[in-house]
Amino acid sequence: MTAPYLHIRGIRKDYGSVTAVENVDLEIRRGEFMTFLGPSGSGKSTTLYILAGFQDPTAGDILLEGKSLLQTPSHLRQIGMVFQRYTLFPHLTVAENIGFPLKVRRKGRAEIDAKVRDMLRLVRLEGFEDRKPADMSGGQQQRVALARALAYDPPVLLMDEPLSALDKKLREEIQVEIRRIHQETEVTILYVTHDQEEALRLSDRIAVFSKGVIDQVGTGPELYANPATRFVAEFIGDSDFLTCSVLSSDGRTADVRLGSDFVVPGVPVHGGGGGRSAGALLLRPERISLHRHQPAEAGTLPVTVGGLTFLGSNVHVAATTGWGEPVAVRLPFGHGAIEGLSRGDTVWLGFDPRATHVFC
Amino acid sequence: MLLSFERLGWWKWVLVAITGLVTAFLLLPILFIAALSFGSSQWLIFPPPSWTLKWYREFFADPRWLESAWTSLQIAALVTLFSVGIGLCASFALVRGKFRGRETLKAFFLTPMILPVVVLAVALYAFFLRLGLNGTVTGFVLAHLVVALPFSVLAITNALEGFDKSIEDAAVLCGASPLEAKFRVTLPAIGHGLFSAAIFSFLTSWDEVVLAIFMASPTLQTLPVRIWTTLRQDLTPVIASASTLLVLLTILLMLLVALVRKGFKS
Repeated sequence: MTAPYLHIRGIRKDYGSVTAVENVDLEIRRGEFMTFLGPSGSGKSTTLYILAGFQDPTAGDILLEGKSLLQTPSHLRQIGMVFQRYTLFPHLTVAENIGFPLKVRRKGRAEIDAKVRDMLRLVRLEGFEDRKPADMSGGQQQRVALARALAYDPPVLLMDEPLSALDKKLREEIQVEIRRIHQETEVTILYVTHDQEEALRLSDRIAVFSKGVIDQVGTGPELYANPATRFVAEFIGDSDFLTCSVLSSDGRTADVRLGSDFVVPGVPVHGGGGGRSAGALLLRPERISLHRHQPAEAGTLPVTVGGLTFLGSNVHVAATTGWGEPVAVRLPFGHGAIEGLSRGDTVWLGFDPRATHVFC
Repeated sequence: MLLSFERLGWWKWVLVAITGLVTAFLLLPILFIAALSFGSSQWLIFPPPSWTLKWYREFFADPRWLESAWTSLQIAALVTLFSVGIGLCASFALVRGKFRGRETLKAFFLTPMILPVVVLAVALYAFFLRLGLNGTVTGFVLAHLVVALPFSVLAITNALEGFDKSIEDAAVLCGASPLEAKFRVTLPAIGHGLFSAAIFSFLTSWDEVVLAIFMASPTLQTLPVRIWTTLRQDLTPVIASASTLLVLLTILLMLLVALVRKGFKS
């Protein structure tokens, strides 16, 4: 592989005795949409702020096209950023806000006007030139902020949870816009969010942050199908975890036992050494089949139905294993297996061991 | 709403009466002085026997009055300039700074508001005597700065606390240097605070009399000091004219404040 466009190399940030992030290593391609996903306090925003130059890392380096950015002050880094809070300049109009980065670069009047028009078209806010930020909705303000951040064609655009203050419907609308703008401008985007759905919808690749380190980097489907840690499995998609003991393991797959005698063979294993140990078996609720009668073939798990929840296109079946652990199954609405199903019934759950994972 | 004015019944009229009385209590002395300044009586008789502009003519004909008014304006303008400038710098430190004793320092900046002015005046008088600053414009400005600064610090820290630092950060990432970002974005955004600070600093100095009496010399007197000394020598209606002019400028400034505030809101 050739040298990466943007290289975050071994970043570490300490606040006194507290380490906010460590060993953050990422290689980002030109034009890529990379999302930092994680709960609050996981270090994703700290990493972004180091990129912006608002904070200096304790160790590590940031290379853009092979050149270190750390010695360059924020205002000379040529990086665009959209913030979580509304940061339009309150005393300036929309056009003046978008033109601001060009004005501080001493560009000519005509060039600024043309660029402002282009940007307004890009974010679909033509006709808003003379509005003041206070007279606009939150969604419109963030679109202007996006236009302002892109006005000087920055090589990298940082976005720090830009949609978290908006309601769900508006958020989805602007996600579509961001996706389109990314495709039109081909700018490299680093996007921070704690919303897995947002990350999956927007990103080319996702870096999952947990407690200051990156647990895994990959495309959405990769992270979902092959989570490297229990945290990633929990954070992306819905999941059932059943405690199990590992009977034998070759480091890649393992035979595990659920309850006292239900053995699942050949499960991909993550973490832990060989030999006997306790683990957690991951099942995806939508990849479990539900049988009303015990099937002829072996390998189905008998459970007791606790209740059904209607969730629109899906129905959520809550059940309990023989040894008292909860397990959820999700089936499409109208599925034959749930017709007439009621609390207390015994059903059998089937799943492909190769599609499950054990974490120890 | 729990307390609706419309549903108060006859209590409504009690409230109206109290409001009227308080307003009268506050305004009547000023109206009284203004009326006297147009009265023809040498002895400040109320109601005036007839009306005249004589005392205003006398005010504008007397170079001592004009000189005092000019001195007052000069000192108030200088106090405003320094008060806003120092207040702005102090506010950045008090709001943005991360250091021990920040809250204490902020409280310290406001102490001149609660300290008896006469104590301050005596202390400054003794201190300035050593420095040879009594009876100089510098002395006046420094003394008034002490009492004006708390208003500036209060108005500007309030405005700065209400301003999201992310907006300034956004300006920096747009390519403005940290200083340029402050001038182009932060200062205009907290303009209402700077304006309040300027007006209150000006008015604090403009009608201040206690410190001014201590700082004044026979040749350097502000308008309030001139009114005070004249009052002690002879009771002339020119004092009423001078007072009315003093109040007039204050009212004009307050009107300006109201207008500008409205402008900031829209």
